[in-house]
Formats: sequence, structure tokens, C-alpha cells
Amino acid sequence: MKSDDHAAIDVPESSAVAKGKAPLIATPREQKSRFKKGLGIFDFLLRLGAIIAALAAAATMGTSDETLPFFTQFFQFEASYDDLPTFMFFVIAMALIAGYLVLSLPFSIVTIVRPHAVAPRLLLFILDTVALTLTTAAGAAAAAIVYLAHNGNPNTNWLAICQQFGDFCQKVSGAVVASFVTVVVLMSLVLLSGVALKKH
Amino acid sequence: MCISFTLLYLATSFSQNYSKFWRFSKKETQITKGMKTGPLESGESSSDATPAKLMISVVAVLDFMLRILAAAGTLGSAMAMGTTEETVPLFPQSILLNAEYSDLPMFTFFVIANSVACAYLVLSLPLSFYHIISSAAKSSRIILVVFDTVMLALVTAGASTAAAIVYLAHKGNANANWFAICQQFNSFCERTSGSLIGSFAAAFVLILIIITSAIAISHR
Repeated sequence: MKSDDHAAIDVPESSAVAKGKAPLIATPREQKSRFKKGLGIFDFLLRLGAIIAALAAAATMGTSDETLPFFTQFFQFEASYDDLPTFMFFVIAMALIAGYLVLSLPFSIVTIVRPHAVAPRLLLFILDTVALTLTTAAGAAAAAIVYLAHNGNPNTNWLAICQQFGDFCQKVSGAVVASFVTVVVLMSLVLLSGVALKKH
Repeated sequence: MCISFTLLYLATSFSQNYSKFWRFSKKETQITKGMKTGPLESGESSSDATPAKLMISVVAVLDFMLRILAAAGTLGSAMAMGTTEETVPLFPQSILLNAEYSDLPMFTFFVIANSVACAYLVLSLPLSFYHIISSAAKSSRIILVVFDTVMLALVTAGASTAAAIVYLAHKGNANANWFAICQQFNSFCERTSGSLIGSFAAAFVLILIIITSAIAISHR
């Protein structure tokens, strides 16, 4: 039995398609690539924010010198970040992080231009995790010393030096806050990369 | 011993994967009713275990073992820091000086951070085990990566805070007039410095866990 003629159904094309003006629904792959491009742009913007925060932290700590106008027999009358090795580590680490973030901007642009490439995203993910660890370490160590400078410790006989050096303490505390902002931004960058790595 | 443990785990996970595919295909045959092609089905389904799925299983087994390692590291650090106590006599005034982890708020934060991280790692072990079995679970892997990143930041913060104070206790600071207390409290200083090693190792292992999860997420 010839069923070919009955099976074939002729559907005339709509005039819009013939003219080439029919709206095409975005294929799933295009939707995915638009979503990943959006993530890439957001990643780039977050990176710029992190650069600003890291540079601010390093610069604030680096320029936090204070010299008191008077002197006594017992106390030091000059305070700078290089008096405490923890603060030196902080400045060096934040400068390193800012440098890394600047160098990672091209890779971030590559992830915008090529949304489905896995290698740049994976590389940025791994390096961002390491950078997050370094920033957290620097920020937390400096925060410990800043806390000690503000409150002292009676059990170990460590006096609070913020009583004399108010300006120095303020600048240093501000630098620690900026480094924690960098930590938060880096964490969201890591999470963004993790979501973008998923291949639905 | 570690290598044999690794091989044992790999063998059990592969056998689980293959047996799971075979059992799934057996259910299919029962639903279609009357198709007694059991051995054929298993042969077809074992070819479904592509190299990518095998790699994801290997990576998931590695993730599980690293989680156990990190939990042990954080637990050891918290216990070493929490059980340190030293009493030293001060000769001229004949009074006793006591040093404990709760004397310094940074050490208290260190113990708390490591305890929280250890509890989280132990609680995440069942989810990690589920990831070994099912290699297609992407959303739960992302959730685990989120929490792992938060725990990494917490552990690193605790470890570096305690490290700053341990450094100060060892060297002191002439400019701030902070005396090095390690000269009096020897064993206290030694134990607190030793407990830092476990915490930093756990932080490094957490980085490896996050990287393995990322590799598992990004594979097809």
C-alpha cells in the first residue's frame, strides 16, 4: 500500500519566513552563551573593583607614618608600617594581589569574547582561589595586630599603642577594612567562575 | 599504605559505577516486560561509562579523601591549641603566671574557626560520597564549592591571625614595647606553633578540594 502520499503533509511556508523577517527564537546554545557573556562582564567589573580595593589597602598601609610632636623617655615617638613585620607582609601581599588582578584582566576579557572556552575560566578559578587565600592571610594577620594595638593584652603585658598614635591606628584599621573588601570581592569572583564553569 | 588505600577506593568506586549502570538497565528491562536481554544490556550500559565519567569518579574519590585529611588537620590543630596550658613561676615576686589559649582572643578565634571547619568537613562527607556515585550532579557540586570557599577563608583567617600572634610571642616588638613571652613560656609556645602547621596544611588541602570540584564541574 502506498502510504507515502498520505504520510507527506504539505505545510506552506508563512510569508514572513519567505521574506526573511520571521523572528527566530534563540537556540538554547545562544541563550547559554549570552548568560556566560553576562557572567564574564560581571567578572571583569568585579575584578576592577578588587584592584581598586587592593591598591587602596596597600597604599593606605604604606603611607601610614606618624611622628609625635613630643617625646618621653620610655616610649617610641615614631610609628610606621615597617616597624611591624606583619604590616610589611600586608603591604607586600596586597601589592602582589593588585598586580595579579591587573594581569588577570586579559584572561577575563577572553572569557567574555569566548564564552564557551573552559581553560581560561578554570585557570582564573584556580588562581583566584590562591589569591583569596593570600589576601585573607594578610588581612587576618594585620587585623590581629590592629586589634592588639587598639586593646592591648593584660595577660601578656602588651600595652595598647593606639592611645598615643591615633592617626596611625586609624589609617592602619582602614587598610585592614579595604583588604577584607578585597576578600569579599575575590570570593564572589571564585563563585562566579564556579557557576560559569557548569555546562548545563 | 596510602597508595593501596587509593587503589582500593578506586576499585570500589568503579565497581559501584558499573553495578549501578547494570542495575539501572535491569530496571529498564523489567519495565519493558519480557525482554530477557540482561547480559546484552549490561554490555551496552558498561560502554556508557565514558572516559569523562571515569575521570569525574576518580576526581570525586580524591575529593572525598582530601576532605577526610582536611578534617583531621583542623581537628588536630583545634585540639592542640585548646589543650595547651602552662604555668610558670615568677621568681622575684613568687607568683605563678598561667598561659592558656583563652588568654589571647586570637587563639580563641583560631580554636573556634578550626572547630567550625572540622564540623563542616565531617558533615559534607555524605554529600561528597554521593558525588562519587552520581557523576552528573552539578548543582550540588556548586553548592559544595560555595561552602568550601567560605570555609577556606575562615580557616586561613584563623591560621594567619594565630600566626601573627605566635610570631609576636617569639620575637616581640621593640617599637611597640611588646615583650616576647616565649622566653618564659617555652612549651606553650612550642605547642601553639605546632598546631599552626595542621591548620595551614588543612587550608592547602581545602584549596585542592576546591580545584578538584571545579574540574568535576567543568567536565562534560
